[in-house]
Amino acid sequence: MPIRLVSCSRVEAPIERQAGPLARAGLLLFFASIIRRSAVLAVAVVLGATASRAETAALPVTEIASGIFVHNGVHEEASAANEDAIANVGFIIGDQAVAVIDPGGSFAEGSALRAAIRAQTDRPIRYVILTHVHPDHIFGAAAFRNDHPDFVGHAKLPGALAQRGDYYLRRLQNTLGEEASGTQIVPPTVLVSDTLDLDLGSRRLTLRAHGPAHTDNDLTIYDQKTRTLWLADLLFVDRIPVIDGSLLGWLKQLNELTTISADRAVPGHGPVSVSWPAAEEPEQRYLEAVAHDTRAAIKSGIGIANAYRQVANSERGKWLLFDEYHPRNVTASYKELEWE
Amino acid sequence: MGVTPTLLGRAALVLWLALPGLARAEPTEAERMARWADLRHAIFGYRVVEDAGDLVAIDAPARAEDAATVPVAIRVAETLAPEIRGLYLVIDNNPSPLAAHFVLGPIADAREIATRVRIDDYTYLHAVAETADGRLYATARFIKAAGGCSAPAGKDQALALERLGKMKLNLADRSRPEEPLGVKLLISHPNSSGLQMDQVTRNYIPADFMQTLEVTYNGQPVFRLESDIAISEDPSFNFGFRPSDPLAPGVIKAEILDSSQRHFSQSWPVPAAAQM
Repeated sequence: MPIRLVSCSRVEAPIERQAGPLARAGLLLFFASIIRRSAVLAVAVVLGATASRAETAALPVTEIASGIFVHNGVHEEASAANEDAIANVGFIIGDQAVAVIDPGGSFAEGSALRAAIRAQTDRPIRYVILTHVHPDHIFGAAAFRNDHPDFVGHAKLPGALAQRGDYYLRRLQNTLGEEASGTQIVPPTVLVSDTLDLDLGSRRLTLRAHGPAHTDNDLTIYDQKTRTLWLADLLFVDRIPVIDGSLLGWLKQLNELTTISADRAVPGHGPVSVSWPAAEEPEQRYLEAVAHDTRAAIKSGIGIANAYRQVANSERGKWLLFDEYHPRNVTASYKELEWE
Repeated sequence: MGVTPTLLGRAALVLWLALPGLARAEPTEAERMARWADLRHAIFGYRVVEDAGDLVAIDAPARAEDAATVPVAIRVAETLAPEIRGLYLVIDNNPSPLAAHFVLGPIADAREIATRVRIDDYTYLHAVAETADGRLYATARFIKAAGGCSAPAGKDQALALERLGKMKLNLADRSRPEEPLGVKLLISHPNSSGLQMDQVTRNYIPADFMQTLEVTYNGQPVFRLESDIAISEDPSFNFGFRPSDPLAPGVIKAEILDSSQRHFSQSWPVPAAAQM
């Protein structure tokens, strides 16, 4: 039974949940609510969180290469209806163990991702990789606590979480309401400052910590077995890139990343699998346009408030959520480039 | 000043911290007016604060794109500007409402001073201009922005640390030596608000902000700023002044004292107008 009481804003396939009889009974508790409640929550209220785990419906995932599964995030802002499942998240299965690559944007999404893993394999979830500080990627981590995995992050992730975690969590709670319940900040237990290899059993993942780009704590993952490059938010496709680290740093990282030969890449937002490096061209074009036009605006004395009106207008219409993020990208870039 | 910014800030901060996570109801217009009346009394006591009419204006976006970096300019009419010796910027609904108090020297150009601020909630901004003989002129502007004070700072924290205290100064083109010289001053400082909590340690990250900024030209004061956590990370100021002798070279100096008692200072030569 797909539970969808609110459907107005959804543009892509919803995360449909198969609710059992218990869930349906639980759901009645929320009968009066006009907000869609997930089966997860309804059952959690009736039976407690432990019982709910067995009932949690699996997040839909696609096997993009042998043993690599990705859930396709919707191109929306975080909301109660989408449970912050707006990023591409997934997992890689080896002969001995499973690695989660981004546990999702909320406890609810993390639980659904865990159910998707258990639908594929009973092997232990040994690693939960946190690709960067943004909530839509890592705020589902608490759903994996009982698996006692290593939570692996960039060496600068703890600092970024200290600065921003509380703010992000409160904002998520305000936006998602009860859909955010269970969501907690889980700091990384294993830090990567350069590269780190993880062995999943006949399958080696190479993690790489990058310099400031999308954020100052971006991790990428390369699966040697299938030559798959998991870029998370160093690659945006269709959805406008968000500059929250360094514009020039990001362009530099892209220059290095494009020298990696891979059969496919996984963007943090966009299709679950794209060709590499062809898929990065629009992002590079956007970032270069922002750099070029913002420098010109600073040089001609246009203030930070108005600069975005004259920056990268050629990109309007080529990206989803352009108006929501482009002005902020220009503000961030202006603050970076005015120090040149 | 009737009350120090710190005291005023602390009282409001207590109120703000008492309400974490609660959805605060949007204040009515009457409540907003009452809040300004309280703030006005706290800052100016029983002094008369006149409506500035067209004499003072606030230039700011109606809706901020980034609540942690909201550009705000205070403009004073040409006719009034020579009399102005003080400018106050109040962000009514911020945890520490008195964002900036500029004390202007005689050579300052009071027609426009711009900076960037953090804004925590939908709020009125008030700008008050003070004349040399103590008259006060106030103007208001409503702005839609939220979350700026506790918003994440430091997109690149390593760079922020490395650059701490560094300043950058740009002089506007000066085609007419008799006109005031326009200056843009950038300061690398986290100016952190102390409102970000480390979720792991459950401690608030200590506030670390610029308390005073003094700008002089050949030793003459251009302005002295008393500021607070509301000034954005990497504080930025646009201002102008009239060099006493525009045809002679001079030196601009900026000095900062922050809440960690660090002192930063930097000087820049200003070529004579004819040479520019």
